[in-house]
Amino acid sequence: MCGMCGLLGGGNHWSNTIPPGTGSNTRRQRLIHVALANRVLASFRLKLDDFHGQSFVLSSSTGTSELVGDFAQVWRIAEQMLGRSLDPLTLFAGDVATPPSSPPSGDRVDAITLHRFTDEQSTS
Amino acid sequence: MSPSYDVLPVTLVTGFLGSGKSTLLADVLHGDAAKDTAILINEFGEVGLDHLLVGEVDARTVLLDNGCVCCSIRGELKEALATLFSQRARGDLPPFSRVILETTGLATPAPIVATLLADPVIRSHYALNATVTVVDALNAAQQRARHPEWLAQVSAADRLLISKSDLVDPTDIAALTRTLAALNPAAEVVVRASAADKVDMLFAPASSTDMMRRLGSGQRALGRGAAFPGFDSAASTDRATESNGAGDEGWYRDWSGDPASLAHRRAMPSLAVPDRPAPQDIVSFCMQIDEPIDWHVFTIWFTMLLNRHGDKILRVKGLLSIAGCAQPAVLHAVQHLVHPVLHLDAWPDAQRRSRLVFITEGLARESVEASYARFRQRLEEPDH
Repeated sequence: MCGMCGLLGGGNHWSNTIPPGTGSNTRRQRLIHVALANRVLASFRLKLDDFHGQSFVLSSSTGTSELVGDFAQVWRIAEQMLGRSLDPLTLFAGDVATPPSSPPSGDRVDAITLHRFTDEQSTS
Repeated sequence: MSPSYDVLPVTLVTGFLGSGKSTLLADVLHGDAAKDTAILINEFGEVGLDHLLVGEVDARTVLLDNGCVCCSIRGELKEALATLFSQRARGDLPPFSRVILETTGLATPAPIVATLLADPVIRSHYALNATVTVVDALNAAQQRARHPEWLAQVSAADRLLISKSDLVDPTDIAALTRTLAALNPAAEVVVRASAADKVDMLFAPASSTDMMRRLGSGQRALGRGAAFPGFDSAASTDRATESNGAGDEGWYRDWSGDPASLAHRRAMPSLAVPDRPAPQDIVSFCMQIDEPIDWHVFTIWFTMLLNRHGDKILRVKGLLSIAGCAQPAVLHAVQHLVHPVLHLDAWPDAQRRSRLVFITEGLARESVEASYARFRQRLEEPDH
């Protein structure tokens, strides 16, 4: 990838597919992906940011940052930064195995926003 | 539109050494069947022979120089494909509309798929149509036990053609058919095919037709006795059957049963070779998800899974029911590589739930399903 502008990113990666009828768009989907990935990465003190809608910047707590093109690379570079593997088969294994309380929404940003709004209402 | 902008379908024909790939092509590609078709042949060894066997299409044949199409030389494949397209665009070659890529018998399909999917130039001009694997009925047991390439070729197949079936006892053919269906439940297994069926095997798109048939209800009644003559009743319990070219369109496994019954193990005593240690178990299973999936959560989970375990995941293929999307999505992965996700116009049956067939080596179904359930639980809960 071009390290100067990052514009030759992973736009063609399969994870960028936008399911028809969901009302999503490229930018919105990207932000949701980044938010969800950060839920995984936060416990490892890593952070992912969108970069120009084409690439990502993966940063560690020690100041290391790297431009990555798609999610296949995000996890690989994250493992390199951590010096250990990120195994989805064991990740969150300590969680209580209960299904989510509500079925998945096709509109995650709204769901997250709604929840925050509800929290503010309840505390006020 | 200018031919420079066309995206040409590529059919990958693979199979172990001597399985009959070139014979298949030589049988099929005559007259109209060869029309508009360019063929790339990858040979192993200093002197290529296969291009001589398909001499009738020699004018459109590009012989890759040497060795196996693998990671180290896939640049040659890229170059050959790019050259082929350039010649077509310039008018040096007739404007063919499809490509067949015959690999050497020692090639594993994944790097070839990678070349088609990952290279920015190639993926703009070519799209993988289907992978057809020819299986030598006479030597399948030995090849499976001794050569990991055999398993990679079978796992990657959309269609499996058993060759040399006339040289093998029908009961052994039935056992081999069951083995192949267990190893790769997503693939169509054909024992003997007419010329017309072979043409369909090579050129019919894999994702939009075969997928719907095999992952659909599978309720079609088949004329089992007529389709599989000479086999005993135990053998005929298999869904794979003989292609007789008499109107049957394809054969598939019935996925409508309990998912637990869909798990298969590779241990097939009749094909075991005792003088070799058994390789790690190959497991195929169908992961079913009843509720529509959250696309974002799924992609996070699946990219992580392929990153860490892609070398153990020989194949994933299936339909996804995505929340908010009425159309089913086709997911198709070979090891670390995922094909572009396609959306079908409609569901093939009333079962509007996600069904993914996994073929894995040393990766248990329970751990994969539990992992996805945990990701759902963690990532689908509201943000705090």
